[in-house]
Amino acid sequence: MKRHFRELSVAAALGVLLLALALCAPAFYQPQPLLSLATRQAPVLVVACGMTLVILCRQIDISVGSQFAVCGVCAGLLAAMHWPLPLVLAASIACGAAMGAFNGLLIAGLELPSIVVTLATMAAWREGLLWLRQGVWVDLPDGVQWFGLSQAAGQWTLVMTALTLLTAMAFAMTHLSAGRFIYAVGSDAEAARLAGIRPRRMTFAVFTFTGALVGLAAMMNVTQSPQVDPNSGTGLELKTIAAVVVGGVAISGGRGSLWGAFVGLLLLACISPALTFMHVAAYWEKAIQGMIILLAVAADGWRNRKRNL
Amino acid sequence: MNVQRHGIKAFLFRQETVLGVVLVLEWFYFDAVGRNFGTYDNTCDILRHSSEIGLLALALTPIILTGGIDLSVGSLLGLCAILFGKLWRDAHLPIPLAMGCTLGLGALAGGLNAALITRLRLPPLIVTLGTYSLFRGLAEAITRGVDTFTNFPASFLALGQGRWLGVPAQAPVFLAVALGYWWLVHRSTFGRSFRAIGYSPEGARYAGIPVHRRLALVYVLAGVVSALAAILYTARLGQAKADAGTGYELFAITAVVLGGTSIFGGAGSVYGTLLGVTAIGALDNGLVHALQPGEMAGMLTGVLLIVVLAGSAAPKIISTLRARKAATRIAGHSS
Repeated sequence: MKRHFRELSVAAALGVLLLALALCAPAFYQPQPLLSLATRQAPVLVVACGMTLVILCRQIDISVGSQFAVCGVCAGLLAAMHWPLPLVLAASIACGAAMGAFNGLLIAGLELPSIVVTLATMAAWREGLLWLRQGVWVDLPDGVQWFGLSQAAGQWTLVMTALTLLTAMAFAMTHLSAGRFIYAVGSDAEAARLAGIRPRRMTFAVFTFTGALVGLAAMMNVTQSPQVDPNSGTGLELKTIAAVVVGGVAISGGRGSLWGAFVGLLLLACISPALTFMHVAAYWEKAIQGMIILLAVAADGWRNRKRNL
Repeated sequence: MNVQRHGIKAFLFRQETVLGVVLVLEWFYFDAVGRNFGTYDNTCDILRHSSEIGLLALALTPIILTGGIDLSVGSLLGLCAILFGKLWRDAHLPIPLAMGCTLGLGALAGGLNAALITRLRLPPLIVTLGTYSLFRGLAEAITRGVDTFTNFPASFLALGQGRWLGVPAQAPVFLAVALGYWWLVHRSTFGRSFRAIGYSPEGARYAGIPVHRRLALVYVLAGVVSALAAILYTARLGQAKADAGTGYELFAITAVVLGGTSIFGGAGSVYGTLLGVTAIGALDNGLVHALQPGEMAGMLTGVLLIVVLAGSAAPKIISTLRARKAATRIAGHSS
């Protein structure tokens, strides 16, 4: 109980929000809009899983939004050239992994601070994409949207993919040595090194893996619409960091879980429709997101301060 | 590695010197390619356009010296521009009073960063990432995403568009702030304490430096300077919009790091930052003269930042590799 206090308190907040919605806006609980909401959040969940690993490793990656856009446009262009879908998916994942590896190389190899490196790559990828493509949308051929399935089946596929990935990764983080290594590196890189783990290799692997997840998420996003938006993924880094931090993953590394990040994402994902139902205008969303990040880290800071005294 | 080297060789290999040479080359290149790049009018133009990013970069220099970072300066510029417009148009305050209030609100916003960082001991990175979202979101919420403020009086616009004794009107303001920061970082005990904190916060505390008060000072100052930049921005463009200053934090951080300030804290200079700002401003302006699309500047700035960071990390990597080689040699001898 005490060990999972942080996750449980976020889950309680989510429960209160859902209860309030049930009382004030029962229209929220219609199955079709809920499924659409879940489908829209599925790619975000995949990226948030990657972001959790990065933050557990005591790093940060704010270039995921730009990587997402680049992967999406790449996947769209390949699909428009009538590549088979599995190949497009593989290419999108490889594209993301390559960009993640580039971050990893600079951060783990040259020991540069991740915030500045990913700030630079965020601008370079995004502006480079704009420069090359001039903001043109990519039209997709038939059979790409929802993988050629019916809409409901496609939506269920995406949601189940994200949930399966989450479960598998959560299992790996607690039961596989690679997962424990990530916690070890995030808690104390030097101690991890003395214990025989190679922290820099782990960091590099985490960034590459996160890039691959971003590639997968981009593909999941591409299949949701008949066109690819070159500006997709703007603000994705903030959304995922907010979910991870709200879910109780310590920004100082080594503490937290994927389930916490999942609950945090659910809470944030329900806030925006809740605002609509409670007639708060949509342009407050960004401010509220910032406030939630600050509240979450401030609450953690407050608890740690009490513990230290 | 931190042994001070003197003499001509050390001077030649300082990052500021290298940057100065790059700047001169950049200048000659764009002068040859573009048609009106090297004229006096265009030089004034560069100065005008880089003054806001320059102010943000100046504000970030002591922050990065202390080993911190402030990602919220660009968003705060947007928020302050909106608040200034709101105070003038909707609250009917006279322009000077509205400016004063805006500066005060900027200090307040910087104070929020400072309070979270020093009181709750949170990492500056995540705090300012949160306020980055919060400030921009507030600007969007206040304007409902569409409202813009225009029709400012000519006497106010002169601050951003006019000339004063032959130089752009914002030049004296910028110069004054730059002198202030130069004094703070290079000529006062504050500057010493910023470096000490950057090297080791714990060590600085043992040396009797009021670490939290010094940190609060730089973040509050950054808020005030962002507000000042917002006023200059509004005066230059003649309008205040919620997206004012988007992405400016990237340019400002790049300028500081280009200027040789270590991103790990502890070492850096205001001159370097000024050179970095000029290099970025000239690049931005020169690309326009060379008829390149605007996205190029953002992309090149990102690439430039990566290259400079990689370059600054190279000596450390080489020395560790050498040490490792030496260690294996010794181990080989002893066995």
